[in-house]
Amino acid sequence: MANLTTHFFGLDLKSPVIIGSAGLSNSVEKIRLLAENGAGAVVLKSVFEEEIYNEYQSEIEKQSVAHHNLEHLDYFDYEIKNDRVKKYLELIQGVKSAGIDIPLVASINCTSGSDWVFFAKKLEEAGADALELNLFVLPSDFDRSADQIHDYYFKTINKVIEASNIPVSIKLSPYFSDLARMIKELSETKLVGITLFNRFYNVDIDIDNKELVPAKILSHPFEYLQSLRWIGIMSGRVKCDLAASTGVHDYETAIKLIMAGASAVQVVSGIYKHGYDFVKELVVGIAKWMDENNIESIPQLIGSANTEGIKNPEMYERVQFMKYFGEFDKAID
Amino acid sequence: MTIQSEYLKERRDQEWRAELRNKLKGKERTNLPRVHMPEESPEERVKHQNLEVNTGLSKEQALVEASRCMDCANPTCIEGCPVQINIPEFIKNIEREEFALAAKTLKQTNALPAVCGRVCPQEKQCESKCFYLTKLKKEPVAIGYLERFAADWEQNSGIMDIPECAPKNGKKVATVGSGPSSLSFAGDMIKLGYEVTVFEALHEIGGVLKYGIPEFRLPNKKVDIELDVLKKMGVKFETNFIVGRTASFDQLKEEGYEGFFVGSGAGLPRFMNIPGENNNGILSSNEYLTRVNLMGANNDKNDTLVLKGKNVAVIGGGNTAMDSVRTAKRLGAERAIIVYRRSRVEMPARVEEVKHADEEGIEFMNLANPLEYFADEAGRVNKMRVQMMELGEPDSSGRRRPVPIEGSETDIDVDLVIVAVGVSPNPLIPACLPDLTVSRWGTIEVNDNMQSSIPVLFAGGDIVRGGATVILAMGDGRNAAKSMHEYLMTINK
Repeated sequence: MANLTTHFFGLDLKSPVIIGSAGLSNSVEKIRLLAENGAGAVVLKSVFEEEIYNEYQSEIEKQSVAHHNLEHLDYFDYEIKNDRVKKYLELIQGVKSAGIDIPLVASINCTSGSDWVFFAKKLEEAGADALELNLFVLPSDFDRSADQIHDYYFKTINKVIEASNIPVSIKLSPYFSDLARMIKELSETKLVGITLFNRFYNVDIDIDNKELVPAKILSHPFEYLQSLRWIGIMSGRVKCDLAASTGVHDYETAIKLIMAGASAVQVVSGIYKHGYDFVKELVVGIAKWMDENNIESIPQLIGSANTEGIKNPEMYERVQFMKYFGEFDKAID
Repeated sequence: MTIQSEYLKERRDQEWRAELRNKLKGKERTNLPRVHMPEESPEERVKHQNLEVNTGLSKEQALVEASRCMDCANPTCIEGCPVQINIPEFIKNIEREEFALAAKTLKQTNALPAVCGRVCPQEKQCESKCFYLTKLKKEPVAIGYLERFAADWEQNSGIMDIPECAPKNGKKVATVGSGPSSLSFAGDMIKLGYEVTVFEALHEIGGVLKYGIPEFRLPNKKVDIELDVLKKMGVKFETNFIVGRTASFDQLKEEGYEGFFVGSGAGLPRFMNIPGENNNGILSSNEYLTRVNLMGANNDKNDTLVLKGKNVAVIGGGNTAMDSVRTAKRLGAERAIIVYRRSRVEMPARVEEVKHADEEGIEFMNLANPLEYFADEAGRVNKMRVQMMELGEPDSSGRRRPVPIEGSETDIDVDLVIVAVGVSPNPLIPACLPDLTVSRWGTIEVNDNMQSSIPVLFAGGDIVRGGATVILAMGDGRNAAKSMHEYLMTINK
């Protein structure tokens, strides 16, 4: 059987199937199930600074009516932060003491520089094997230039790296005007990996009630194409490992993404749709396909279809539909 | 009309009060300016840990201030009092120079008037509802000062009125802890005829009143006199007794206790858990103040020691932070600094405490938040890194939120840091009662009657609220006493 071991997050992984950050891994038993089904690593649910702030707000609302004592609530956000860290610690220690052999990656999403460092240090102390930065600035601020946003990314990343003794990677958004250059420059920091791409919460409009509603939460199978293109373009041109995320709903997609240059793929929606067995389906499917195609190891497969490894690499950068639409028009005529 | 308002009307309709109201015209009363509390000079008071800063109103001042009170038909001030003191009645008794009756009125519903007259945040409670403030937009009647005056007058007279108690009903109840909620509970239950025992883990009675509040704000002797009244009413006090360790609840039940009130407080210090916080020379305000207030560590002759610093930083902006920083100054600090992440406007400390701190030379480093501590080779803190903040949008408390300014970090030299960012509930009682429902934050969950998931166990104060003021805790004790009495009467029918 093909050797499925790979390398991402600066760690050796038993398989290229990584469980992305979600509630899927919020208990020791769930993580055991994911590990038994062949997951290579688990990214734990993100610690969101915004969530902590919202909880702080709600505690103030709840408690201040009864207390009239702001002194007690003045620093309660630290209590909530420390409670989060404690829960992370309990989960990580629970997994380790249960003898479950799977790397655990802590994920953080903050807004202020000091909190990125606070949580990075605390989650490292809690026993996380690596960190994933869930770093994204929605470029909706009219007063914030692209340079300022870039600067924020690099300053934050470097601060966390400086404060951490465990490997740090980032899950990146596609929303950069100079995406290729951004990915390349990020790979030249001490980041050990970049995952393309983060999938964000989106809003939709309910036309009957004329209100904004959450858009579909789970990804659609065709959403992998954006990651495929960019991993294909960047593979072989960056100084750290790449992983793919979003739209991995079958093993074939996972293989395509690895061929484009990903060292591993992150999955979440597929598990929500098909259950924990979906992880095994992916792992077994990849191994079977590799056996059938005489590929012995994942490194052999990684990047075999990137710009350097494929016959028509220019396809990765083609963005207009000209010829395609021409044929489509004929069919409809 | 409720029973309370009927009672208040009846009291207000007494002849002497009607006469007193007619003694001065409304304008004559409202034109009087609010009295100022006399104080020790800052230069003198910073030399002494035990010298009370506020010296109390003179008789003349108290009489003038009492005459400001309009004796309103609808005394809204009482709505702001968690223990429902009949405020106009005690003030009018001062005005007619019946000081003993004023003190007696206070003690009808408040077991600790000399304490409350000193440490209650009246500006947020009774005084915030005063007619002067709400209708005339003038400074409210100084209810707190007058409360202190009446209580002190009685204490200084040497003749303490002992409130009457109902005949013994043969039932025993206990309190766990001897802080304000427990003492208030004990005071009401003994009046109702119960045999009451207060179990205290420490060697001193008084809880936070003794270990938490410095003597320059609340002298221990003032607390002791009020405790003595409770003793004379028949309340028994057991010190060095840890309920759950020295004896279990079951053992106490076997001894005949039918009801328990848990007022074990919030004795667990909170830290920020930032890097370097474990260095020597960084301690909680609980530890710092307990060493000084309860163990006399400010006196070098005593066995208990406390770290003294030249450059002392106190983290926080509440009354505990003010108590700590002012204590540090009295213990010889050259620089005693409050480091607080919001501006002065948002500080939870009483305005009076901030003013006193300012007068005593305390430095205020506002809009600054510690990020990390550094230590010398011996492991003693020698530097702290703070990040400067700016104020953002208001949060749910209505105060503007502190937002870090990136790149604004600065280091300051310190050799002692006191962390005063709040406290958590004492975990001992919940830990020894598995059937007791507690919140995520370790507070005991109670219903509106202060009754917990264990029907014979009632609770109040910090162990329920997480953090409460003295007077709120006392209000809890009173509510719990009323509810426990009703409960025990019902189940024994």
